[in-house]
Amino acid sequence: MLVDEPADAAWNMAVDGALLELADEPTLRIYGWQPHAVSLGYFQKIADFADLPEGTPIVRRTTGGGAIHHGDELTFSLVLDAELLPKNIAESYVLLHEAIVRALAAIGVSCRRAVSGNVAAARPHSRWCFEDPVRDDLITEQGKLLGSAQRRTNTATPRVLHHGSLVLNRPAHTPFVAAVCDQVPITGLVRRQLRSQLVAELAKVLGIESQRDTRTAAEDAMAARLADEQFRNTAYIRRR
Amino acid sequence: MRPDDLKFQKSHEWCKIDGDVATIGISDYAVSHLSDLVFLDLPAVGSSVSVGESFGEIESVKAVSSLYSPVTGEVIESNEELGDNLEWLAEEPFGKAWMLKVKVSATSDEVMDGAAYDAHCKAEG
Repeated sequence: MLVDEPADAAWNMAVDGALLELADEPTLRIYGWQPHAVSLGYFQKIADFADLPEGTPIVRRTTGGGAIHHGDELTFSLVLDAELLPKNIAESYVLLHEAIVRALAAIGVSCRRAVSGNVAAARPHSRWCFEDPVRDDLITEQGKLLGSAQRRTNTATPRVLHHGSLVLNRPAHTPFVAAVCDQVPITGLVRRQLRSQLVAELAKVLGIESQRDTRTAAEDAMAARLADEQFRNTAYIRRR
Repeated sequence: MRPDDLKFQKSHEWCKIDGDVATIGISDYAVSHLSDLVFLDLPAVGSSVSVGESFGEIESVKAVSSLYSPVTGEVIESNEELGDNLEWLAEEPFGKAWMLKVKVSATSDEVMDGAAYDAHCKAEG
């Protein structure tokens, strides 16, 4: 497991991109956002976000889904060979989300996987990921608690980058979300417990055991290149 | 039924070569595993595609997947209606849901015929 200090949006996405390309074992990375930022889903139109306050950092993810205002949250990325997940994409969300339900339950947070409603792929009604809960999303009475999205490559060894955003405290631009703070106070201990429960439950369902705790020099070099050439590149951010 | 004049890639794109023009799409197997499709990006007419390189992207269930070209060449037609009619991919993946027509300069030597592709799909489960 890699645990990173909060970093800017472009760097966060660039590291995930480098891991997708280069990580030679299943890798779970946990990180945060400093400054807080808005990430757009890969296919979203930037014109739909013209009302954000001037200066709001915006990045375009390579994963799908809707936009997220990343404030105080536990963000994770999971990079692994596709064969470790169900081939059906919806089933892969079910597997990972059920593991996260158990991780949250272990720290006293109750949520459930929505088993009815629109299929996850229905063309979203809202531009915000958290405003539009769909089947298999993790929800509480307050709303949606976890945002998830994937990027899949289908090269010689098919790979998956899975993004997860678990809200700890409610962010400013998306007040309609559910948050862990609705049920337990967010302390340093809670953050550490949640992190370790998440790692344990995901490792269990995926059958992986990773000892890695640092990135390689090659991964860092590729992340630096992707940050400059792609994620800070205005043409990429404004591609739609 | 899959038409028997198609070649397939392991990554589930199909191509049909007619003279020096290849028509490219994705298979019924790929569509069934991607399930509900939301967005599609295809290259513009006049752009180049290369064997094994990504030529487009498709989103389903909040997952973006790359599409890989079985040929090298210049895009001479792109199915511009498909993006707004993604249900065609489930209805007629080998017909009106074609994606690109490419003037071919080279083809992949790793494509399979229908029988080999059937076996590949069965092995993938």
